[in-house]
Amino acid sequence: MSSLELHHIEKSYGSYHALRGIDLTVEQGEFIVMVGPSGCGKSTLLKSIAGLEPITSGTMMINGRDVTHAQPGDRGIAMVFQSYALYPHMTVAQNMGFGLRMAKRPKTEIEEAVTKAAQILRLTDQLEKLPKQLSGGQRQRVAIGRTITRSPEVFLFDEPLSNLDAALRTQMRVEISTLHAKLGATMIYVTHDQVEAMTMASRIVVLNAGRIEQVGSPLELYRNPDNFFVAGFLGAPRMNFFAGRVVQVSTGHVTVQCPLVEPFDVAVVDNAKLAAGDSITIGARPEALGIGSDGGFPAKVHLVEHLGRETILYADAGALQTIGSDTGTGNLTVHLPDVAPFTKGDPVHLRFDPADAYLFGGDEQATLSIPKSI
Amino acid sequence: MPNFWRQHRGWIAPTLFIMPAVVLFGVVIVASSVQSLWISLHDWDGMSPMHWVGLGNYQELFRDPQFFTSLKNNCIWLVVFMLAPPLGLGIALLVNQQIRGMRLVKSLFFIPLVLASVAVGVVFTWVYTPGFGLLALVFSAFGATAPALLSDENLVTFAVVFAALWPQVAFCMVLYLAGLNSLSDDLIGAGQVDGARGLNMLFHVVLPQLTQVTFIAIAITAIGALRSFDMVSVMTQGGPFGSSSVLAYQMYEQSIFSYRFGYGAAIASVLFAIMLVFIVWYLSRIMRADDRGA
Amino acid sequence: MYPRPIAPNAKAHRALYMGLVIAILLAWLAPLCAIILTSMRAPKDIATGNLWGWPTEFGLVDNYVGVFTQTPMARFFLNSLMITIPSVLGVLILSTLAGFVLSKFKFRGSMLLFAVFVGGNFLPAQIMMIPVRDLMVRLGLYDTTYALIIFHIAFQTGFATLFMRNFIAALPNELFEAARAEGASPAQILIHVVLPLVRPALAALAILVFTFIWNDYFWAVVLTISDSVKPVTAGLANLRGQYVSAWNTISAATIIVAVPPVVMFFLMQRHFIAGLTMGAVKG
Repeated sequence: MSSLELHHIEKSYGSYHALRGIDLTVEQGEFIVMVGPSGCGKSTLLKSIAGLEPITSGTMMINGRDVTHAQPGDRGIAMVFQSYALYPHMTVAQNMGFGLRMAKRPKTEIEEAVTKAAQILRLTDQLEKLPKQLSGGQRQRVAIGRTITRSPEVFLFDEPLSNLDAALRTQMRVEISTLHAKLGATMIYVTHDQVEAMTMASRIVVLNAGRIEQVGSPLELYRNPDNFFVAGFLGAPRMNFFAGRVVQVSTGHVTVQCPLVEPFDVAVVDNAKLAAGDSITIGARPEALGIGSDGGFPAKVHLVEHLGRETILYADAGALQTIGSDTGTGNLTVHLPDVAPFTKGDPVHLRFDPADAYLFGGDEQATLSIPKSI
Repeated sequence: MPNFWRQHRGWIAPTLFIMPAVVLFGVVIVASSVQSLWISLHDWDGMSPMHWVGLGNYQELFRDPQFFTSLKNNCIWLVVFMLAPPLGLGIALLVNQQIRGMRLVKSLFFIPLVLASVAVGVVFTWVYTPGFGLLALVFSAFGATAPALLSDENLVTFAVVFAALWPQVAFCMVLYLAGLNSLSDDLIGAGQVDGARGLNMLFHVVLPQLTQVTFIAIAITAIGALRSFDMVSVMTQGGPFGSSSVLAYQMYEQSIFSYRFGYGAAIASVLFAIMLVFIVWYLSRIMRADDRGA
Repeated sequence: MYPRPIAPNAKAHRALYMGLVIAILLAWLAPLCAIILTSMRAPKDIATGNLWGWPTEFGLVDNYVGVFTQTPMARFFLNSLMITIPSVLGVLILSTLAGFVLSKFKFRGSMLLFAVFVGGNFLPAQIMMIPVRDLMVRLGLYDTTYALIIFHIAFQTGFATLFMRNFIAALPNELFEAARAEGASPAQILIHVVLPLVRPALAALAILVFTFIWNDYFWAVVLTISDSVKPVTAGLANLRGQYVSAWNTISAATIIVAVPPVVMFFLMQRHFIAGLTMGAVKG
């Protein structure tokens, strides 16, 4: 029996489709992270699971119970909100016990649950304080504590760390992961931060325009993205994309050509329906580009970011037609695992090993080839 | 049954919550207003059965010189009342300083606003009293004799409007003071850096930020001018010879004193039609602002 | 800040400014001062026309005691309280319920309903006068305090619902979603979340509505005739007819009518201003 099952969830506001047929099965104890650009429907989906937003069609099951039309409080879920949503007029203890109080549980049981949750979250000394007397991190923990007291079947998190500063965010990330390991509960976590997604998830769900683009473990998605969108969404700095053309098709592989690079052969998936002359998109992670003293193709350094042990170069390689780059056409991002003594305007030779290339093509920009090196 | 309740409380509870307000407001305010329009098509003394006259009451209205006097007076109210927003802004600008004691000064300026209009009417009747009143005192200080404002057919309406302006100016001042306090300091700073000062600053930087306040001040003042009843009733009872009557007062007089409910309802309907322009203007803007905010 | 604050060390400038403000304030309040001064004068001075000179004797206590003992003012005052207080309570309850629903529940026609509440609030009283009076006669409530209480609750609910809706709408949505996610029913949300959070709004609304209802004159004369039910406003208008030139008595009565709202205002000034300007400043 799965912890959570979503069958063809649709939601529309008038003619706007926020969710277009979401199917997802979550097993007991998984930590699912939903990511996607803003407006992709990830928060809407989370609120639909919580029962806070009605859905237009589809069914939802939690531990085998149909909860499609159940009230939020009857679904066996608990939720941590982006703004924490702590009741300002209640103490920490009252905030954490509110759900149980609404369920008319006996006082002793509420106290016990609150005490236990407070211990787990190191809030024992704060129980009588009001939310406004707490620091950001403490408020965040109260918001989590409130979900623990209800011992729900599924925990929902709506961008819970976005209001914290960078240091606290890293700390809370670890705490939530630890908590997940300790409770072994099913958790669904929405974020736009791919570091959170990569580090916390047992599986990541990538959403785009109300659809699931791909579901898989962080490394699966990183290594083997299903399409152009997922490849571009995960990984920082972003994958480089540039336009190419198929010049020859043989069984199992094609020959691809693009400006500045010698034509090269790549293995492609079986169902890649390519013909000579088709346009395709070539992808190369910034880590896959390198610097040489000669060979490769010439480019000009546009901006350098020195990150200590690593360096990121933004280089202009005129003739290369880059796609979806926010730094302009011809711009490539190169990630060097070293200190590199470049400054703006330096000429460089960029190396690109075709063995590291991804290929995307067709109407859906599906992945046609992944690098052999992975 | 408990299950049914749990499933449907999502809409049953809010329906129960809003019902008392909807029913009471619907019956007493909305239905009554609509019913008045119906009554205006009848001849009715309030007791015997209503007698259908169609548009008879309205035809009579347009031959009634008193109606045009009242209408003209409503126009005077409307025009003179438009002094309230600028005067209110003036006082707000005057007192918007953070100096010890200014809080009390502001509060004292607000006082007319919380006075009952009946009290304001009595106060100004006393001020205007020939021979003894405050106005007479001021005039005699200059060696002149104050006119008997409330018995002069040409001046009486202005005298009443002037009295009614007093609380209205205070209202506009409250609005503008709140508006001035919500101004963005950064914008004022930017204006100063750009070299705007004094009146330039007021017209090019401050007032454009206060358009919402100005709009509300004007709309509420206009509606207030058209609704005027209390002051006329207390200060002049429409006199002398109906010369200071307004539509609201004429309607009341026709209904309560002459038992001409149908005719009164017709006057009320005309007043309502005039005010509807302002109400719709106000509502459409408020709702639009609300949509933007939501 | 605009106008530019006067520098604290510009002493002369400050003194000049305060002088100007006080002069204007005195002119502004002169009518009120005149009535207060008159309310302290003895009838003898009034009769002899000594209205502005030094009083020959002070009638302050006599005038106010007189208003309460020789006129039905005490009765009017009591009536006003008996009308205003239950009306305010009724308005607070109805508008909190309606405002909660209109702000946090989505349903078809909610915007229209809201527009009706707001718009109804600006209708001229005359358009509903005849049917309301007729309704009260038929209910047997004409010339009782109930007639005024029912009408005031109905009418003020329009404004008050606008007020409460806007206030509750400004409370973060996530608080309500959190309560729903924790299984709170609408009634429980109302009691445990809405009520504790709207207390300041209720205070502001209470004083505003108190002032509006206390100061009402039109409905007092339309729905009551007996001295035993009349509120102070209608009562004052009556006294004006009876005590035509006894300005000392009338002035004292006027002050008595004016005092409760003024006191309420000074006690809860911030709430009052916040309530009155709500909507004007935002947007």
